[in-house]
Amino acid sequence: MAISATASAGLGQTGGPAPGAASPARGSRLNVGTAFAGAVLGYLFGHWLGNAIVSGDLYEVAFNTSTNNVAIFLALLFGVVGWLAGIGALNYPIAKIMGKEAPAEIPEEGWARFLKFTLDHKVVGIQYVVGVLMFFFTGGLIAMAIRTELLNPTSHIFGPNIYIQLVSEHGSIMMMMATSIVVGPLGNFLVPLMIGSRRMAFPRVEALSFWVFISGLMVILTAFPLGGFQTGWTGYAPLQEQSSGGMDSYLMGFGVIGTGMILAGFNMAVSIITYRAPGMRWSRLPIFAWSMLGTAGLLTLATPVLFAGVYMGALDRTAQTALFVNAHGGSSFLWENLFWFFGHPEVYIMALPGFGIAAELLPVFTRKPLFAYRVGAAGMIGVGLLSFFVWQHHLFQSGINPDMRPMFMLTTELISIPTGFIYLVGMGTLWRAKIRLELPMLFVLALYFNFLFGGITGVYLSDVPINVQVHGSFFVMAHFHYTIMGGLVFAFFGGLYYWLPRMTGSMMNETLGRIHFWMMFIFFNLTFFPLFIVGLLGMPRRVFEYAPRLQTLNDISSISSYLLGFSFVVFTINLVWTQFISPKPAPPNPWNSKGLEWTMPTPLPFHNFSRIPVILSDPYRYGEPDALPVADFGEIAAATSSTHEGLAGAQPTSSGTEEV
Amino acid sequence: MADAPGLMEPAEEIAYETRCAEGAIWTGTRLLIGVIAMAFAGVGFAYFYLRSVNSEGLWRPHGQTAPLLLGTEIAGAALVGAILQSYGLFRLRRGLDLDWSVATWATAGAGVLGCGLQIWELTRLGFQPGQSGYASLFVAWGPLSAALLLVGAYWSETLAARALRMKSAVAGDGGLSASQLPRARLFRASAEGAAYFWWFITTVSVLFWLLFYIV
Repeated sequence: MAISATASAGLGQTGGPAPGAASPARGSRLNVGTAFAGAVLGYLFGHWLGNAIVSGDLYEVAFNTSTNNVAIFLALLFGVVGWLAGIGALNYPIAKIMGKEAPAEIPEEGWARFLKFTLDHKVVGIQYVVGVLMFFFTGGLIAMAIRTELLNPTSHIFGPNIYIQLVSEHGSIMMMMATSIVVGPLGNFLVPLMIGSRRMAFPRVEALSFWVFISGLMVILTAFPLGGFQTGWTGYAPLQEQSSGGMDSYLMGFGVIGTGMILAGFNMAVSIITYRAPGMRWSRLPIFAWSMLGTAGLLTLATPVLFAGVYMGALDRTAQTALFVNAHGGSSFLWENLFWFFGHPEVYIMALPGFGIAAELLPVFTRKPLFAYRVGAAGMIGVGLLSFFVWQHHLFQSGINPDMRPMFMLTTELISIPTGFIYLVGMGTLWRAKIRLELPMLFVLALYFNFLFGGITGVYLSDVPINVQVHGSFFVMAHFHYTIMGGLVFAFFGGLYYWLPRMTGSMMNETLGRIHFWMMFIFFNLTFFPLFIVGLLGMPRRVFEYAPRLQTLNDISSISSYLLGFSFVVFTINLVWTQFISPKPAPPNPWNSKGLEWTMPTPLPFHNFSRIPVILSDPYRYGEPDALPVADFGEIAAATSSTHEGLAGAQPTSSGTEEV
Repeated sequence: MADAPGLMEPAEEIAYETRCAEGAIWTGTRLLIGVIAMAFAGVGFAYFYLRSVNSEGLWRPHGQTAPLLLGTEIAGAALVGAILQSYGLFRLRRGLDLDWSVATWATAGAGVLGCGLQIWELTRLGFQPGQSGYASLFVAWGPLSAALLLVGAYWSETLAARALRMKSAVAGDGGLSASQLPRARLFRASAEGAAYFWWFITTVSVLFWLLFYIV
């Protein structure tokens, strides 16, 4: 390693400002308060503009225009732009027009940095934790309202219109949340640490993705005062065309969230491909990073099609196009195709990160190397690729050419093969292991248990004859809750218990954590398993009344859902108590992991690594006494830099940074 | 995050991170093209889907067509932009910084012109948005096309403006085309990406020109 050293701005991203850079101080005064102010001003301006366009009178201030879709769309659009301007996200893109270099970020201490547009991936990761929990708890409260309505088959609390609005809002919020629940918090925080990088490839894109994501929640919640939307989360036309003003919030909300997803995936993919430390071959990449790469690929390539779909829907509602109107040369099935071309890869956007967490944690708690690492990585990429060829199974009942059904049945069943690879990697690692049943491991085991139900019922649903019978029933609903909540959400909480000591430096309370786990596991199953049965017995989704003979099963589900909700109260108390009120400092490596992310001091240095590490092996060499350390942080690197795997020997290629 | 903001980096690490950043621009450009291509693929899918379904016989009644001359000018603006940006890059590689600057400003101008023409065209259509499947899809495609041209113009303009500001800083190190300073290397990577991106814009513009005006 060279002896001479210079103070670096990290290529203008961190540290001192580059010459000609925009002033960092200007952006630093902006925070979530100014963002809210910007959003309100933008909303009012957009609303006024929409009314002016429609009325043709620029000076008329119209109000009570809930049916003016142009005004609603422009209000939401300018509201989001105002939000981003208020947080400072637009400062640099505007400064660029004048040729200014990237402004440098001065590291900040204290809580204020979490309320700002920041380039530190660790801060963005923690911002995302708070953001996804806000989404999750909002959607969860609505879920309990839905279950309350279903306590009785004929006595009603909300009535049909409010009920379908609640169902639609719950589905949309949870789907939006689930696409980012791991990539946002854990991906952004951990991936640079795992790949030995000091930063993400595009830190502004990363920060922008978070603030766009948060604005998406606000946009989708505006649907309630605008009359909601009655389509469910799938937004099918022609109901989309007929729905009240809340449909505008749905279309804009998914457009905004979709933008955030693309940005997050784009940055994640480029970071993993190009910012791996020397020696971090593809065969040494942590399996969690592989899952992030697969997910990022899906986010960047599937979500633009959703964006095109919601854009067309917005035009139908504002510019009087007829893209989804059969009577004017359009087709409502066009929406279904565009939506599900995104929607099915989205299922794997939600599944892959959960399996990535599980596979990352298993070797730590079994003290064994990860079984069939390459098969697991190949399975993740295989699932991602195949997911683009299955979307039509969502249209089995929607009038597609019946001759097309067998082909899509086959492709859907094929995808169970790489999914099985991933599952078997987990089972192989557990085989004959001395399992440490610590808190994160409980969540991982629960994932494998729950996903078995979700996955196998998914194979049933891909078969046309069964699909014809149970389509649109609670069976389908139970299936995807078992895969998404039973898989992804359990993995997320397991990952949070595992990595929070790394993120914040404080341990969570073990006892409260175990109470949370057992309540969540038991009442999740008691909430959703009965719904398989009521679905098979014929109870349709999205209908507020049902046959009285199904009340007992529905009541078991509803009461369990309250207790499931209470488990998150326990989690929140644990989180607030241990992280804010009475933090208990965590040991440097509480789980005795070999992961690169655990090798740095606490609190994490601003630049992560004082020296760029040279990676020597994968992080799963448990039980191998002669195994090399995962990385070399200095002395060995200096010795090897001129030989084989040091910095001098590393060359970025078209496929990223690889060794010569 | 309690350490000092500045980082004492050995020269090898700076060089290594610069190579990573160059790789990020290279990869990011290709991935950005993939993202936008998928959005336009959605429009392309809609074109063929609505055309084959032909609901109520209203895909394209009476051979509706948007103004051909304007459409050709817009696609032409994209093509000119791509040629200019690539020619500029060719000259930059030969050390002719000024040629690159002139070509890049002209490229930005072509992008703005194409965007303006596209918006103007939307006001000159001989059909209403909901009149047919074709009419609806054309009205949907127009703003996307304008936005794509504007993104290309933005990329070129910001590069050209950045070159003006960097000029004195890199003058003693071989100029824009030869300087080995990290910012100059990243600038050149971005210039290469812009040229690549402009060919993508041209491909999209010409493909949809064929679909909407010729087929």
